[in-house]
Amino acid sequence: MTDHQPQKQPEVLFDGLSATGLARRFGEVHAVVHMDLQAPSGQVTALIGPNGAGKTTLLLMLASLLAPDTGNISVMGIDPVENPAAARAKIGWMPDTLGVWEALTAREILSTMARFYQLPKTEIPARVTALLEKVNLTSLADQKARVLSRGQQQRLSLARALIHDPQVLLLDEPASGLDPGSRIALRSILRELAAEGKAIVVSSHVLAELDEIADGAVFVNQGRTVLAQTVDQAAEQGRRYAISALEPNALAAALTTLGVAVEAGTTRRDSLTVGVGTEADAAQLLRDLVTAGVAVTSFAPATGALEETYMNMKVEQP
Amino acid sequence: MTIKQYSSGVFAVVSMELRQRLRSRGWYIMLGIWFALIWLVTALAWMSWKAQRNYSDGLGGANAQSPGPLIFEAALAFVLLFGLLVAPAFSANAISGDRSAGTLAIMQITLLRPGQLLWGKFLASWIAAVAFLIVSIPFLVFGIAQGGLGAGHILIALLMLAIELGVVCAIGVGISALANRPLFSIVVTYLTVAALTFGTLIAFGLGMMLNNGTIQSNQVYYKTLEMGPGIGEKVDPEMYPPPLPGDITDQNEEYLCYGPLIEQGAARSERVAWMLAMNPFVVVADAIPYPDRTDTTQYYYSTGFFESISHGARYAQAGPEVTYPCANGKVSPEQLEKQTPLWPLGLGLQLLVTAGLLAGGWRALRTPAGKLPKGTRVA
Repeated sequence: MTDHQPQKQPEVLFDGLSATGLARRFGEVHAVVHMDLQAPSGQVTALIGPNGAGKTTLLLMLASLLAPDTGNISVMGIDPVENPAAARAKIGWMPDTLGVWEALTAREILSTMARFYQLPKTEIPARVTALLEKVNLTSLADQKARVLSRGQQQRLSLARALIHDPQVLLLDEPASGLDPGSRIALRSILRELAAEGKAIVVSSHVLAELDEIADGAVFVNQGRTVLAQTVDQAAEQGRRYAISALEPNALAAALTTLGVAVEAGTTRRDSLTVGVGTEADAAQLLRDLVTAGVAVTSFAPATGALEETYMNMKVEQP
Repeated sequence: MTIKQYSSGVFAVVSMELRQRLRSRGWYIMLGIWFALIWLVTALAWMSWKAQRNYSDGLGGANAQSPGPLIFEAALAFVLLFGLLVAPAFSANAISGDRSAGTLAIMQITLLRPGQLLWGKFLASWIAAVAFLIVSIPFLVFGIAQGGLGAGHILIALLMLAIELGVVCAIGVGISALANRPLFSIVVTYLTVAALTFGTLIAFGLGMMLNNGTIQSNQVYYKTLEMGPGIGEKVDPEMYPPPLPGDITDQNEEYLCYGPLIEQGAARSERVAWMLAMNPFVVVADAIPYPDRTDTTQYYYSTGFFESISHGARYAQAGPEVTYPCANGKVSPEQLEKQTPLWPLGLGLQLLVTAGLLAGGWRALRTPAGKLPKGTRVA
């Protein structure tokens, strides 16, 4: 975004989903003040922020449901405000509210969505069956959506967002309500989709989860993008480690001699939390502790990389 | 987008809606209650006719009318009344219900356009309402079969009922697209239907009072009004029969007008007749063709409920200049029922309201949404 072109001309075509300078207010409430987001194709971008930070509003704007007051959105080069139909053919959206038609079966819901997306009629049954297989709902395909559990409805909602094979996938809290098995399945589906070259935006609160799936993260707070970084960058930054030893007193003494400040722990009582600059520093600290004769039983990052960034943001909860 | 693509999107919405409707037990229960009610009304109408006939037979009354018109009108009136009550139930939460269930945005995010959504929801609710009409056909046919009316009656009546149900469904869908909460849109739709059914009457009545004007008219003398002497009174040969007035300006077989024109107060009903015209009962009643009542054998027959509504509405539309006896010294034309029908105006006004609501609903459904009403959540 270094080149300043006249406003009329389209920007250099970004392969994926990009949004710049978005703002949106509802009456007096500025839900989104200024947000930028780049979600390149083939990558999973995490959208992280506290409740009320404007994540859902941002996703609604990206999904072409809300018009931004200012700012530009480009979905694979298409402006959804000017040409919503063309943009929608490329966008798959999974809302945070489930919203299923309870009287219809999973198969009927997907077929109906396919018709709404004007897919060729002959291709619909096969497409629906494949998607049901993908989200592991084949055995429940002809059950009314009413009887599906929350996690199953969540998976159905994901299949619904994928029905027209979109290039850009917007997922609002996709993992909430999923059991561990489904979470792992979701993770592998998302990685698969990213490998197929789709741009994926995931908003979530489960930050440890995001460490595993996301390539990059955008942190938002109070309607603004605060930071955008890759997960590798996040891992490189300072991070807290939780250490426990057979004799906690000896560990504390050793840390004091080494000149490492002990932070108030937030995890198990018998472990101590210390701040460490880089992973090399962490390795050095462990070596020093062992050399000092401390019987270290565990030595691990206290938080995920993205969680670390999130906590360092010192977000203010309204 | 071609028409074929557009209609296939509409059809997808309709089939989804109907599929959901057919699976809800409430719909069948309502259909059953409906059938039972109309059956009851028809049976009661028939029984009351029989009782009346027995009574008049006992008195030696000869010309018993066929029960057809009575049963037909009773069934028709109730079908319309219940239809007006049932149609909002199908339409008024069509979109607001989806909005609160979070499924509206799911549809908006697809390639469906607001118009397709509205058409689909409207057609689905209309089809559901027309199913109720179809259930009541046997009773209307039973009425026709009792004689006195032609098959044309039933066809026109059914057509008008279907149109009126369509209007109510469209109003409901329009309001539900504008409203945020299902409860609100259902209440507002019922209030709108009440405004059309009762509000128009009240407004018409109040409008009549506010539109007091004057007309020039002279005296009326009824020829058939023979004032015989009371029992035991002596007949005054100079007063009976009373002399005809001298300065007659106009007359027909029934009465004559005489004397100078005097300014008289009269309600200018023709100015507010359009309010009456919007009443669904008036639209249906006025659209049905009635047999010619002007020939003398039928003139004094009691007319049915719907026929009276139609007559009354056309009188109101004609206004005092036409209907007031001896207005401008002229007798009023006898064949008022042959006057311009009122229902096209009424239906036109209803459609205007409907179109306004649907246009508003269409605006509210457009995405990406610009301004949102307060307290709205898109999803």
